[in-house]
Amino acid sequence: MHDLLDDYAQSNALRDIDPRLKLILGLGAIIFCVSSISPVAPLFVAVSMGLITVILAKIPSSFYSKLLLIPISFALLSAAVVAFMHGNGSPLFSVNIFGFDLGMREDGANLALLLISRTLGGMCSLFFIALTTPMIEIFAVLKSLRIPGSVIELSMMIYRYIFVFLDQAAMIHSAQVMRLGDSGMKNSLSSFAMLSGVLFLRSWEQGERLVVAMDARCYDGKLDLMEQSSKTEPGLILAAAAYLAVVASVAVLTRDVQLL
Amino acid sequence: MTTILETRDLGYSYGDGTVALQGVSICLEEGKKVALVGPNGAGKSTLMLTFNGILQPKSGGVLFRGQPLNYDASSLRSIRRAVGMVFQNSDDQLFAPTVYQDVAFGPTNLGYPVEKVKRYVTYALAYVGLSGYERRPPHHLSGGEKKRVAIAGILAMEPEVIILDEPTSNLDPASSEEIMEMLEELSLGGKTLIISTHDVDLAYRWADDVILMKDGGVLHRGTGPEVFGNSELIKEARLKLPVIVDLYQELAGRGLADGSKPPRNILELCDILGQERKGSSPSVTAPSNPGKIYICNVDETNAQQILAVLDKTQASCKGAMGTSAKVMAQESGIALDFTYGVIDKCILKALIGKSSLILTSGGMVDHAASRIEDYCRESGARIEAVRLSADANGRPIA
Repeated sequence: MHDLLDDYAQSNALRDIDPRLKLILGLGAIIFCVSSISPVAPLFVAVSMGLITVILAKIPSSFYSKLLLIPISFALLSAAVVAFMHGNGSPLFSVNIFGFDLGMREDGANLALLLISRTLGGMCSLFFIALTTPMIEIFAVLKSLRIPGSVIELSMMIYRYIFVFLDQAAMIHSAQVMRLGDSGMKNSLSSFAMLSGVLFLRSWEQGERLVVAMDARCYDGKLDLMEQSSKTEPGLILAAAAYLAVVASVAVLTRDVQLL
Repeated sequence: MTTILETRDLGYSYGDGTVALQGVSICLEEGKKVALVGPNGAGKSTLMLTFNGILQPKSGGVLFRGQPLNYDASSLRSIRRAVGMVFQNSDDQLFAPTVYQDVAFGPTNLGYPVEKVKRYVTYALAYVGLSGYERRPPHHLSGGEKKRVAIAGILAMEPEVIILDEPTSNLDPASSEEIMEMLEELSLGGKTLIISTHDVDLAYRWADDVILMKDGGVLHRGTGPEVFGNSELIKEARLKLPVIVDLYQELAGRGLADGSKPPRNILELCDILGQERKGSSPSVTAPSNPGKIYICNVDETNAQQILAVLDKTQASCKGAMGTSAKVMAQESGIALDFTYGVIDKCILKALIGKSSLILTSGGMVDHAASRIEDYCRESGARIEAVRLSADANGRPIA
């Protein structure tokens, strides 16, 4: 079994909560994160969303922390660039490298912190959605939002075949590694090129077989969605609204707070 | 017997000029179990794809119930509804993101209203024993479960003929036996079944009618023993003899069997060996004190009653035939000894003096009883088949 987000989305403890509520909660938190001008509200969102995901949805913390490392590493890299290259204000420190003054100023440092906290808050909210809500239910929500049917049908098939091709890619990769296709940079590159090429051809063939399979079952332009079955308890709606209100007030109250 | 599908001098070649089929003329009778057997590249899959109009033959034609196939959109719709096809690779067939959506695909495209679609999907999933799997995505299913979903997707369209391309490839032995058992059940329900396979043992024991194919043509056609009794033909088609036929021929060569009528299954082989050892007529080989076989209809009894029966009868072996019986056994915690080939296994146990219980439902109750009666008539054994049902107070009676 792979450690896929999708596996957790199918099996987490918040699986049966109304997807609309989860989407509103996650998207609302993201909006507050990116619109807050102080890093406090995004950090609050990051911590609270993390706790909700790990404690309420029962996602293993080891998996969750590994997952967070991906956006954090990107955020740190870009924050470092911003911190050193940006702004004015009083210099915090500077080093002289080969005659260049490389310094960090107050504005730059604050901006970098804001960047990191926004990334963290946004990703925690996004992971909350991704780890608790199966794609199929998101499709159902999209349909209720009157997104054109063909867009949703196409997305559903893409979603379904991602896993078929993921398996194939994993198998091709193993076949290459078994014959030492990953020894050295040059070999790795050419193996990767071959994998991409073969995968493209296979997806083409799969597409043709898909058309046959659909035709064999009288395809007439219809792919039905499951009806929405979950009911929302008023308590949960209140809890979500209260959470978003708290985030909003934190964002407003701390709008002037800078960490440096 | 009425002919349901017929091909007349069918020919097909692929775009690059490769001839896949040539001069294929066969008649398939309604309600039969047909196996297309042949080596790789013999044209089995191509032939199957012409049966429901996926491929249009280059010469000759296909007839369904005596009517030649037309290839306009509405005729194709009706033929594809009547002739359902299960592909070899389940991932080709299961394209929807959930089990429910996939099974609902056919009925939805036939334009049924939502309620009717739901009813058909629920029925089809219950038939294949996957109720409760509606919301699962296909990539979270095992190979056997995927195959069942694929079959459910076809059943939901109520076809008259079901075509299965290599239904047991890539399945573990127990899953493939269970799939074949399900096909047996469908056949008892009156469906015509056509499978393609390399598995000679499976084709030999399962099919009423074996069509041996080679190089795009039909090499031979007949019952299992007719086709597989001929070693030359089998060699020509790059197949091998079913183990049971091979064993029988070797036994015949050693004078341990007379070699005239190869057995279909282990039960028949055991009988032949028993007769030869006693060197006398079958009736003498019948055991003096055979076990009983209790047949229990799970539609009419509940779990407590079955457990009570088990206490009373002290049946040493328990088997279940059909999905609903298996589901019931699982729910009530009855450990099953046999989940496939149940009747034969129970007869074999009865012959060595052990009693057994068969859980089954619907038309298979009569099927089981008549199979046991037929066996007794042919072999002279006296195995008592006892049907169990509940009396007015819910107590099990024999």
